[in-house]
Amino acid sequence: MAGFLSGLRRLYLTLYNWTVFFGWAQVLYFVLNTLKESGHQHVFDAAQKPLLFAQTAAVLEILHGLIGLVRSPVTATLPQIGSRLYLTWGILWSFPETRSHVLVSSLLISWSLTEITCLLLLLQIIRYSFFGMKEAFGFAPSWLLWLRYSTFLLFYPTGISSEVGLIYIALPFIKASEKYCIRMPNKWNYSFDYFYAAIVALGIYVPGSPHMYRYMLAQRKKALSKSKRE
Amino acid sequence: MKVAVVSRSGREIFKGGIDLSDSATVADLQEAIHKRTKKYYPSRQRLTLPVQPGSKERPVVLSYKKSLKEYTNGNSDNLTVVFKDLGPQVSYRTLFFFEYLGPLVLYPIFYYFPVYKYFGYKGERVIHPVQTYALYYWCFHYFKRIMETFFVHRFSHATSPISNVFRNCAYYWTFGCYIAYYVNHPLYTPVSDLQMKIGFGFGILCQVANFYCHLLLRNLRRPEGDGGYQIPRGFLFNIVTCANYTTEIYQWLGFNVATQTVAGYVFVVVAASIMTNWALAKHRRLKKLFDGKEGRPRYPRRWVILPPFL
Repeated sequence: MAGFLSGLRRLYLTLYNWTVFFGWAQVLYFVLNTLKESGHQHVFDAAQKPLLFAQTAAVLEILHGLIGLVRSPVTATLPQIGSRLYLTWGILWSFPETRSHVLVSSLLISWSLTEITCLLLLLQIIRYSFFGMKEAFGFAPSWLLWLRYSTFLLFYPTGISSEVGLIYIALPFIKASEKYCIRMPNKWNYSFDYFYAAIVALGIYVPGSPHMYRYMLAQRKKALSKSKRE
Repeated sequence: MKVAVVSRSGREIFKGGIDLSDSATVADLQEAIHKRTKKYYPSRQRLTLPVQPGSKERPVVLSYKKSLKEYTNGNSDNLTVVFKDLGPQVSYRTLFFFEYLGPLVLYPIFYYFPVYKYFGYKGERVIHPVQTYALYYWCFHYFKRIMETFFVHRFSHATSPISNVFRNCAYYWTFGCYIAYYVNHPLYTPVSDLQMKIGFGFGILCQVANFYCHLLLRNLRRPEGDGGYQIPRGFLFNIVTCANYTTEIYQWLGFNVATQTVAGYVFVVVAASIMTNWALAKHRRLKKLFDGKEGRPRYPRRWVILPPFL
């Protein structure tokens, strides 16, 4: 029974990660293709479908952590996935005026490349864990391991600056549209202003980004030193 | 007796160790450390016995009241202790005072002063009776907490790191303003008169009960006692381990039933989850301490914090 369940778990994780991988690969392809063919204004429209799909599927990743399907802590996945969901649905999808900006290209390239290397490594690990090897880390090709824990050095800063830049660009449109706002008076004495929420979100980036970067640096040190030992 | 003081990485902090008399207590050692390095006053020091490297066991923290001899296994004149700097400390009284002062001062500003002008609301504000009662209720609550801090509470730890002051003040002050903003809003919608009376009535009852709980807890920790844990008894403590939190949570619930703001309910949920964590830890500790073996009393069956759920 336990063997069956762990087999099921592996099958599911393989399927899930391949699907998401395929989504991000498509995003990257569409972005690069559009940049070459027509120009950065059309990048979002071209990559929209796989982007919305892959990004929304990431919600499952939080769920996986919560129910213990994977070991990554929720505290690490939640801020990253939350911020990306906010950008894709809450900014780009909700305010089409932002889509033609050049930052969309740098954003999507940063996201997709980080995700692709991460997913490739994950798939390797899942494959090798089939042979009952406890420390699957050492069996993944070292160049892939190095790539996964090095791409972020460049793509975190570019990705995060694109995120912050796009929120900032969206601010006047958010204010003018009054979208997603709840106003007083109402029975529950509640109000919500999407514009102020966006400013709070920008504020969270100030301590949040260096925190995430440091966290990844620590992960890098751990992973690369581990692979060297084996 | 010679005491070697080492850092957590094993480096000796005071070359040659510290010489103390054979009858010295941990407090004497702390004083000696303080004398050598002025900034490490006793409450800033955490002294533990060394643990075997790689062992998952928690190190034994030295109690300042005990004699150093008790930690040497009686046969040696040498003792090695691990020193950790806890950083600048403030007393718990100071910490609590500043935490509660914020809401006590900030809330009335929203009631008395034309702050909503700056949020873009023009014209005269009509004040509903519930808003006035809420002001009195709120201020009474925080006044009570400050008074209890100075005259009722006995703290198991004397001090807390200074960073906690900033963290806790940020928490209390922002939530205070967030709730005050909605309760005193010019476009505030009051609930029915009956609901308001039930809410405030229940809330006041819980506040009185909470005060009584704090008195019981104070008597549990007598100044001449050893500061150790005891089974809380009497009144609601016979039913719930952390009746002080229970009454605190239900007291806020009363306030929210009367004022009905989402902000207030958000605060209750956050506060309740924080207190639940503390309550679970305390419940576990008491159950472990009073396990009914070797003459120790057995911890009775009780709710943890929120009867009838937990």
